[in-house]
Amino acid sequence: MSRSVPVIHVRDLRKTFGKVRALDGLDLSVRPGEVHGFLGPNGSGKSTTIRILLGLIRATAGRVELFGADPWREAAGLHGRLAYVAGDVALWPGLTGGQCLDVLGATHGGVDRRRRDDLIARFDLDPAKRIRDYSKGNRQKVALVAALAAEAELLILDEPTSGLDPLMEQAFQQCVRERREDGVTVLLSSHILGEVEALADRVSIIRRGRAVTTGSLAELRRHTRTSVHAVTIAEPEGLAGAPGVADCVCERADGRVDARFTIDAEHLDAAIGRLHAARIHTLTVTPPSLDALFLHAYGETLDARETGETLAEATR
Amino acid sequence: MSAGAGTADPRRPRLNTMAGIVWRTQRRTILVWVAALAAGMIGTAAAVAGLYDTPAEIHTYAEAVTSGSALAAINGAVEGIDSLGGVIQDEFGFLASFLLPLLGITLIAGSTRREEESGRLETILGGRIARHQPALAALTVATAAILATAVLFAAGLVLEGVPVSGAILYSAALGALAFVFAGFAALLAQLVLHARGVYTWSLIGLAAAYVLRGIGDTTGTGLVWLSPLGWAEKTAPFGDQRWWVLALPAVAGLVMGGAAVWLAARRDLGSALLRGGAGPAGATRVRRGPIGFAAWIHGPATAGWLSGGILLTAMMGALARPFLDAMAGNPALGRAMGVAAGRPLDGFVAATQLYLAVIAAGYVIQAIGALRTEEADGRLATRLAGTLSRNRWLAAHGAVIAAGLLLIVVGSSLVLALTTAWSVGNTDETGAIMAAGLAYLPAELVLAGLALALFGRWPRAFALTWAAYAAATFIALLGPGLDLARWVLDLAPTTHVGSPPVGTAQAGSLTALSLVAAVLIMAGFTAFHRRDTS
Ligand SMILES: Nc1ncnc2c1ncn2[C@@H]1O[C@H](COP(=O)(O)OP(=O)(O)O)[C@@H](O)[C@H]1O
Ligand SMILES: [Mg+2]
Repeated sequence: MSRSVPVIHVRDLRKTFGKVRALDGLDLSVRPGEVHGFLGPNGSGKSTTIRILLGLIRATAGRVELFGADPWREAAGLHGRLAYVAGDVALWPGLTGGQCLDVLGATHGGVDRRRRDDLIARFDLDPAKRIRDYSKGNRQKVALVAALAAEAELLILDEPTSGLDPLMEQAFQQCVRERREDGVTVLLSSHILGEVEALADRVSIIRRGRAVTTGSLAELRRHTRTSVHAVTIAEPEGLAGAPGVADCVCERADGRVDARFTIDAEHLDAAIGRLHAARIHTLTVTPPSLDALFLHAYGETLDARETGETLAEATR
Repeated sequence: MSAGAGTADPRRPRLNTMAGIVWRTQRRTILVWVAALAAGMIGTAAAVAGLYDTPAEIHTYAEAVTSGSALAAINGAVEGIDSLGGVIQDEFGFLASFLLPLLGITLIAGSTRREEESGRLETILGGRIARHQPALAALTVATAAILATAVLFAAGLVLEGVPVSGAILYSAALGALAFVFAGFAALLAQLVLHARGVYTWSLIGLAAAYVLRGIGDTTGTGLVWLSPLGWAEKTAPFGDQRWWVLALPAVAGLVMGGAAVWLAARRDLGSALLRGGAGPAGATRVRRGPIGFAAWIHGPATAGWLSGGILLTAMMGALARPFLDAMAGNPALGRAMGVAAGRPLDGFVAATQLYLAVIAAGYVIQAIGALRTEEADGRLATRLAGTLSRNRWLAAHGAVIAAGLLLIVVGSSLVLALTTAWSVGNTDETGAIMAAGLAYLPAELVLAGLALALFGRWPRAFALTWAAYAAATFIALLGPGLDLARWVLDLAPTTHVGSPPVGTAQAGSLTALSLVAAVLIMAGFTAFHRRDTS
């Protein structure tokens, strides 16, 4: 497969369940070797997209290609090249964790036994315990270990860390980075911005079944504002009126000037020049977080419910 | 580039991978069913062979049974009944009509829709398993289990002295019966949303097949040929031996199973033809209370078992008159059914009430099993997280289940009383029928107590309750006919009821049964109060 052919290519994808329009013209493209963040609030259509990509459900309309082939017709053959962790991990309560790993491994194209054992240790799993005695987080870990140990070219992870504690989330992120080093492509769906921010090379944001925006984090950040906090000896001249500067607040404190403002990326250099002229004492520059990006992408059209959700997640 | 298209690709989806997964995840259920069924059938055969060991005895049995249509309605019309195989087929007729179809239904429902409903199938299909393969693998494994059961049974029959060809044909007919219902359940699993729906609709289909076969056998019409139970009967393994009839269940099972596989490849995962629409956004006041909530949970099962009870009692009541006529012409029939001379109708009612007790006990065990499911699925923890205490939760469910039991017993007995009165033309038997129904309540509560005690103390061993139920049913229905030892008969709670109205229900025995039930129920409550919930 040439590097230019996308691993996942989706154009104008539509899916309706009876009267519910789950996907309404979605576009998505995932390049080989990248970690692609697939971001959107609950009910926006992430899991539906993934199920169509896996050929578990059939698209109502639109074009879907996985490794350049039609996933509905060639589902099982294509699945030999990928590993999937479902949003709601359900396993067999009567089997042990190790037995479940074997059962799941049988459905994969191949399993790297050494990596599997290594992952079991890193995720602190007890493979002799029965699934019904595991916590939700531990069940999630079984599914993650199975997927990460598979000999796959593509990992499709649907909200993979929803049950993990922060320590395990760190372990998970490290494992995903290692898989990417091995050349594996990753599609990572999430409604948690921090998780995607830590891992993704590129991000697509989906809302109500449509992609709102897509691009690298740097590209997306270009449209958002950087926050600057500086303490200078003298008063910076003409800062409030300088091009690209907004929300400017300057206060005198302890004989120094405390300046806070936001600025768009292209005017940063000029603004720092003005601060420099006023002799910088301390300087903090904060790039826009994905949270801000998310809010930006949603613009003013956020309805109350989504605002609540998004902000709740943003403060996690 | 099209991945996985080449036939030599090791990543090509393989059916045996999926069959291996089905076996691995279901093998306990499969082994228990196959072993229990084979043991039960071979045990029956052995007991019959021991009891009817001379041609003269077999002949007397055959004479007795063939003279009444009521027995044909229950056990089926057995061709060639004047032989050891024929007697076995007749004795096993009623239980086999339910157990073999249930084997097929259980194996399929457990490995198809239940897996899909739980979300496990999504993970499996995310691997290199094609969409149609889970259904196909489930059918393959179920067929293998059915074959194993049939082979074991045939071997057992031959060992007991049944002619080889008859033994093989009879076992094959029973296996084919299970196969039809496996195909039926596989098809239903593609159409309904929940595993519970697969059971419900399969059992409705089974009830319809049973009624069709019963009406066909008593009226001697072709209706028998519309029922899979009729096909098994028409193979006539100990009569004319119509091997070709085996083609009917084989084709029906293959067509339905094939349709299931075809549909599975073409439909969305998680979809169903029949699915509930949106519901009310809030719960009504009644449903929010513990009793109302419990009633909502047990409602469908209560309705199902009540339908079964009404179906049985209505059919039997309607046959009361033909039965009396047959008795008048043949006193041997009375002896075969253990009915005292001079009071044939009492004996008829007693037999029917025993079947009803089996239904009622099945209901309580299933209802208490639903509590275990609530717990295992984590819904109990949600319920108890609020102000509701454990004991109130259990008491609310207990009260609702007890009310359901009473409804099933009284409702079905009433139907039996009405249909019997209609059939024989007087209401002389009404009081006796109602009293007999109520007399079985303590015995049913003993099984309920056992279920509750296991739920309270060893919830993971709840399946043992079903094993006890199966054993008690086997002893209650077949024990007296097979002349089992007294102590074996005494193991079944229903034995101690005394078979009213043909016998008398002893107040002492009923009190003892009630005490045992009370102790078990209290033990269940106490243990549940103390243990961890999961
Ligand atoms: N099988 C289904 N039947 C009906 N509606 C569905 C079904 N699956 C998903 N939906 C609806 O489609 C929308 C998108 O759901 P989903 O893809 O699960 O969102 P996400 O994964 O982003 O939270 C939701 O409104 C959901 O209710
Ligand atoms: Mg989702």
